[in-house]
Amino acid sequence: MSRPRVLAILAVMAVALLARAVAADPRPIVLVIHGGAGVIERARMTPAKEAAFRAGLEAALAAGYTLLEQGGSSLDAVTAAVRTMEDDPQFNAGRGAVLNHEGDAELDAAIMDGNGPHAGAVAGVRHVKNPIELARLVMEKSPHVLLVAEGAEEFALEQGVVLVPRSYFRTEARERELEEARGARPEHATSPPATRHVTGTWQGSMGTVGAVALDRAGNLAAATSTGGLTNKMHGRVGDSPLIGAGTFADNASCAVSGTGQGEYFIREVVAYDVCARLRYRDLKLAAAVEQVIHNLQRSGGEGGVIALDRAGSVALDFNSAGMYRGVRDSRGRHEVGMYRGEKP
Amino acid sequence: MSQAPVHAIAIHGGAGAVPRATLSAARERSFRAGLEAALDGGHAVLARGGSALDAVATAVRLLEDDPCFNAGHGAALTRDAAAELDAAIMDGRQMRAGAVAAVRHVKNPIELARRVMEKSRHVLLVGAGAEEFALEEQFVLVPNSYFRTAERLEQLQAEQRGQRVSDLVPPAPQGTVGAVARDALGNLAAATSTGGMTNKRPGRVGDSPIVGAGTYAKNGVCAISATGHGEYFIRAVAAHHVCAAVEYRGLTLQQAMHELLHVILPALGGDGGLIGVDRDGGVVMDFSSEGMFRGARDAAGRREIAIY
Repeated sequence: MSRPRVLAILAVMAVALLARAVAADPRPIVLVIHGGAGVIERARMTPAKEAAFRAGLEAALAAGYTLLEQGGSSLDAVTAAVRTMEDDPQFNAGRGAVLNHEGDAELDAAIMDGNGPHAGAVAGVRHVKNPIELARLVMEKSPHVLLVAEGAEEFALEQGVVLVPRSYFRTEARERELEEARGARPEHATSPPATRHVTGTWQGSMGTVGAVALDRAGNLAAATSTGGLTNKMHGRVGDSPLIGAGTFADNASCAVSGTGQGEYFIREVVAYDVCARLRYRDLKLAAAVEQVIHNLQRSGGEGGVIALDRAGSVALDFNSAGMYRGVRDSRGRHEVGMYRGEKP
Repeated sequence: MSQAPVHAIAIHGGAGAVPRATLSAARERSFRAGLEAALDGGHAVLARGGSALDAVATAVRLLEDDPCFNAGHGAALTRDAAAELDAAIMDGRQMRAGAVAAVRHVKNPIELARRVMEKSRHVLLVGAGAEEFALEEQFVLVPNSYFRTAERLEQLQAEQRGQRVSDLVPPAPQGTVGAVARDALGNLAAATSTGGMTNKRPGRVGDSPIVGAGTYAKNGVCAISATGHGEYFIRAVAAHHVCAAVEYRGLTLQQAMHELLHVILPALGGDGGLIGVDRDGGVVMDFSSEGMFRGARDAAGRREIAIY
């Protein structure tokens, strides 16, 4: 045989082997993140801002994915990814969270371990630097799933969590947004949500940050953290800390984290509905997510979800202008995006 | 099969360990009287053509006002001896929902939950923020002592001495109160209200005010209200799970509830009970605990109250 011919055959064999290795990767590791959905359009973005958002998403992906690569659990990976975004003031969670009507950050978070499943969540906390870590302590160190407000902070102190002043969370950008929102519309309207067009406070990022992961051991996990809505009523809780609404993980089905107009996500039990359709309607993950986003759209809600199943299939979908998002897996996928039409 | 009833309502007053021997005749009578009053109150709304939503709100309000049951007046107390109340209501017609958690000064939390649904753009309000909204809506707040009864204090003290409330004589309903209904127009609704667990940590929220966990209603599918160990019901997304099993897998309501209570929750380690009504007005009441205070009444003449 001629030399070029041998080389060609070898090349074909190598490609075939590689393809089989990818398809058959029996224990993939995967991390998917989001940094909120909303009015994210090229026309409103400067190159510097865009670069900063992409860097923030990359940092969160790296923080979680490194742990997965080292053989760490999906639970640790989603915690690390979400904590990284909580600490990044660009995203609406932890420091840089949006402010409520009184000018304070009021934070919600939930985490769920698909192996169990176990769950922990906190809502309405104002002095906890990383709400996702407190949610995890609720899961691991209390017999409860959801603790709210002062009771949640009392638990934080009992667990040795150092509280921070409310000013820690406040940024200039969020204070400006609050001023604009206060001018735009009254704090809460009196007409029912089903008949009223929601604007004003939904402007900009309807943020929330979240992550779903699959580890080497085949365990799924999901985590979500948020400051909620700009100018929200004191005490308002959205979907993020509610198991089934904004956050869900079960090894028997899938892991989901949502972002968007929380009230709609609560009513439609969005995160669990994705998993229920996957499991009981025998749909592929992408089809289940598509149906749920379609229903959300029909009921007038806006937002997006990230989802992951045990085979490592990833689905991201949203009906808003954009969604900050990222995917990294052991099959070589590594993407971050924010606009519609972009990968992933 | 007989024709489906035009309208139907079911209520529960909590599930748990209710050993027959420990419930005195007099106490059993007062529980039954409370259940009957709530059942008939809710049914009267349906009978005069009222909505499922009004019927469940009425039944739950009556149970909240009755000190026998763990909701409103007579709610279980936190470790600080305060009442901290949670409630949710859901209208299956438009899948609208309202809920409150950890309120301490609202006489009828179910009415505040309904107000959240109807007058705010939110679904869930908690703590001081929920009470601020109550004031804006002209609710008259009551002192926390309104909710506290001598019996609940005794139970708290027993629990803090290391005794389980379920071992007390006489036993008290743990859990929650709730109602589900179908009206003549085919609309479904569900409502749930609770004081939560005796000796709970302040700020602990169970499944009752969480849409999909303790409360769910979707027209054409079913309406569900749960009672039991809330943490397990949250993880199982219990109420929505039952509706999803009916809608996506074609299970009957009875099969779906049975699977949740006798397969899924035991695997997680939890027990409790559920009441549900399906699209045709068929009522199912099931539980995995020793007993559940419950009642059902419909347009076809069914009327029953049961505990064991």
